Amino acid sequence: MRSIIYYLREFLRPEWIRKFFFAKTAPLETPSYFKGYPTLTGNECTACLSCMMICPAPKAIAVLRTRDGWEPEIYPGHCIRCGLCVEACPEGVLSSGRILDVTRRDGTAFWSWYHLQVDDNLCMRCGNCCVSCPVNREIDPQLAGSGTSSSDEVIMRVEGGRVRILHEEKCTGCKTCETQCPNRAIRVARMVEGVQIGEAEV
Amino acid sequence: MSILQKIKNTVRSRSIHVAYVDVGSCNGCDIEVLACLAPRYDIEQYGIYVHNNPREADVLLVIGSVTPQWVDKLREIWDKIPDPKVAVAIGNCPISGCVYARRGTLTSPPAEKYIPIAAQVPGCPPRPTEILNAILSVAPLIFKDYEEKQP
Ligand code: SF4
Ligand code: SF4
Ligand code: SF4
Ligand code: SF4
Repeated sequence: MRSIIYYLREFLRPEWIRKFFFAKTAPLETPSYFKGYPTLTGNECTACLSCMMICPAPKAIAVLRTRDGWEPEIYPGHCIRCGLCVEACPEGVLSSGRILDVTRRDGTAFWSWYHLQVDDNLCMRCGNCCVSCPVNREIDPQLAGSGTSSSDEVIMRVEGGRVRILHEEKCTGCKTCETQCPNRAIRVARMVEGVQIGEAEV
Repeated sequence: MSILQKIKNTVRSRSIHVAYVDVGSCNGCDIEVLACLAPRYDIEQYGIYVHNNPREADVLLVIGSVTPQWVDKLREIWDKIPDPKVAVAIGNCPISGCVYARRGTLTSPPAEKYIPIAAQVPGCPPRPTEILNAILSVAPLIFKDYEEKQP
């Protein structure tokens, strides 16, 4: 009997009831510096796909066509909130926490380019890559089936019995050459380097 | 609903027992669950208590991308939890497999394939506040009118 009274006294204390039913603090608010899922800032997306290419998580981001332009879409079940897409986007389309503020303050950016590599052992000098390249064809419409071109401005051409890369920097990374090559001899790699803004212009 | 039932529901929703199972995670989400216990988030002030015994649990937190060793064990653990029960997937791994959902990996996400998942907390890892909010939001659903729902 004494123990029942003891229990009742214990559990009927106002302080105990308050502690049991009411939490001391409401579930904490998310701080402003917290890196969440990237959200849209409203800037216009140019569909350069830098965000998709730098993303380390498979299927986390897709740049989709909307009625009036392009828009990146983040899939939270795949996104790991690394914020690389926010940093890589040259237009500031995405934001997440303070990433944009920090990159602006520190003047950092991702500088990316495409690296073309031809494996001379696999290549049979057919010139398919040079002909199929849309940039090549635009620069030199004369480019015929042989892949040889007299222009020095093309990205690549067959010269002296092998494929020579002349202007790697003009490549847009479309990978048409890779798919057209019958021997898988040509490889297009996207290279990314973190730079200070000053350096990037040199 | 009788007033007694109402009191029962309220009291029960202030006493939620959580078990967690790590089915192959990188430990990122485990650390966040651990942070929920620490004084800053203090999960117990909301009436949530963490155990590692499924027989005592109401809520099962599933963490990790389901490695082959866990495929059958996850179901076994779920079956051991007495009704009413819910499972919450914490982090991207049990939801989609995240970076492990590639060709050639041995993991077989999502966790939904093996047990029913009531709520998902995406994030790699999610914040303790997000985990807390998820548990608090599923808790009323578990206990609400449980006895009346019984056949
Ligand atoms: S935050 Fe990281 S994982 Fe998420 S979409 Fe951007 S690059 Fe991909
Ligand atoms: S990097 Fe920016 S501009 Fe380019 S596709 Fe992605 S969101 Fe659009
Ligand atoms: S990736 Fe596209 S633009 Fe670049 S060399 Fe190949 S075909 Fe030309
Ligand atoms: S398409 Fe392939 S095999 Fe043909 S020239 Fe180009 S790299 Fe060589």
